[in-house]
Amino acid sequence: MRDLVDALLAPLAQGFVRRALGAGVALGAAAALLGVFIVQRGLGLLSDGLAHATFGGLALGLLLGAAVDRAIWVALPFTVAIALGIQYVRRRTTLGGDVATGVFFAVSFAAGILFLGLRSSRSAPVNVEGLLFGSLLAVSPESLGVILAVAALVCAVLVWVGPRLAYATFDPELAALSGVPVAELEYLLLALTALVVVVGVKTVGVVLVSAFVVIPAATATLVGRTLGAIAALAVVLSVAGTAFGLFASYHLNVATGATIILTLGAMFILALVLRRS
Amino acid sequence: MSPALRARGATVVIGGRRVLDDVSFEVARGELACLCGPNGGGKTTFLKAALGLVPLAAGEIEVLGARPGAAASAVGYLPQAKGFNAAFPAHVADVIVANRRGAWPVRVRTADREAARAALGRVGGEPLLDAPLRGLSGGELQRVYLARALVNEPALLLLDEPTAGVDARGRAEFLDLLAGLAARGDFAAVLVTHNAAAVRRLARRVVYLDGRVRAWGAPSEVLDRDWGRTAFSGRDHEGAPASPCEDQE
Repeated sequence: MRDLVDALLAPLAQGFVRRALGAGVALGAAAALLGVFIVQRGLGLLSDGLAHATFGGLALGLLLGAAVDRAIWVALPFTVAIALGIQYVRRRTTLGGDVATGVFFAVSFAAGILFLGLRSSRSAPVNVEGLLFGSLLAVSPESLGVILAVAALVCAVLVWVGPRLAYATFDPELAALSGVPVAELEYLLLALTALVVVVGVKTVGVVLVSAFVVIPAATATLVGRTLGAIAALAVVLSVAGTAFGLFASYHLNVATGATIILTLGAMFILALVLRRS
Repeated sequence: MSPALRARGATVVIGGRRVLDDVSFEVARGELACLCGPNGGGKTTFLKAALGLVPLAAGEIEVLGARPGAAASAVGYLPQAKGFNAAFPAHVADVIVANRRGAWPVRVRTADREAARAALGRVGGEPLLDAPLRGLSGGELQRVYLARALVNEPALLLLDEPTAGVDARGRAEFLDLLAGLAARGDFAAVLVTHNAAAVRRLARRVVYLDGRVRAWGAPSEVLDRDWGRTAFSGRDHEGAPASPCEDQE
């Protein structure tokens, strides 16, 4: 038994696996906590849209001459700005949030393609596939630092404003009457989503990052009775699923990000079945 | 002591339309007044202006001697549309405690729970304390929201068509409850209603609002006037009630 455990955990001897585990777990916890609010507010599409906006931000960073690892410093403010733009349109016009997201996400993705094409022919080639599908096993020590810092910041802010944000999620008008700064908290929620999505794109890629935000929270919502229980369960499921998926993909020699998402998806289906019976 | 509510020339413009035009009336402390009038007559808008949710273009509304929104914790509000998110994992105690705390309780503390229980006790809803919000009947939901409005011991209660969407029995029970609470004079109340029986039973005074204040007085004075011919004469007001506060049934 002990030999089996040792064999399963053997990959941890390698630095890149330890970094991948740290990055995945930190991102998983922050995304799951955030996801509770995103799912309750029906904003699942938003994280997907912001992931595509992140592609635009990373491409802009590359165009400005940043190395692949440093382009995130352009993508972070770029994507936060897009998120605030979406929220502005949501609040100031009668267009729905999905329409605002649709417009901003297509435009920034198109801009990203344009930015990549505008780079000089002498600059280093870009691995677009890496951008689209992420590379958890290739997280550098510097990227790990950024991911841990963003995850810690997002979790701390959510624990701080979570009860008021939850009240505003339940009923914005009653929350406003109780003195909750509803509009400001909504802008904050979108900015936090942008931060999580950008570091998520670095690890699981543009296509899969929204699953990190949505699936654990959706699973927990199916089985949890109170908001506190749902939040705790979402974080536990996300962290466990990420760790399991990482080790499974290593031993099976398959794509890491996809294995993690499939693990989270399996948990969702299990919850769906358990809830019915 | 300032009155519970005093409107002076209150005017609200939304999208270029004067929804409230020069509205003036007063509600004394401990008094229950009814707000009647046709749909679109500005009743809900008036409550929202008094709560500070809708800005005034002119005039003023004084709530417990302060600006709208300034005395928020002393004002209880029972909204017409319970626009809560049905997917939200809300329980009755959470909803009531949220109004006490100004934040959603991740864990309900004992003191808050007892306050919620006491508020529910006043409306005869104590057994509902731990019930999930979804699955409550319309009448039960009204009681919970009334308990929510009462939990901070308000000096003024604003109720927006509290019996809309509730069946006849639930409506009668709710009005009994409200009559019992109002008779104690612990709070003043403004009740928006289309229910003439409720007005006759509960109100000391009625304001008939149709953009402007068309009438303001004792229920007998306002209700028994012939609105079909006098108040709406010469005006195109399709669907205007023959009586200012018609029964819903």
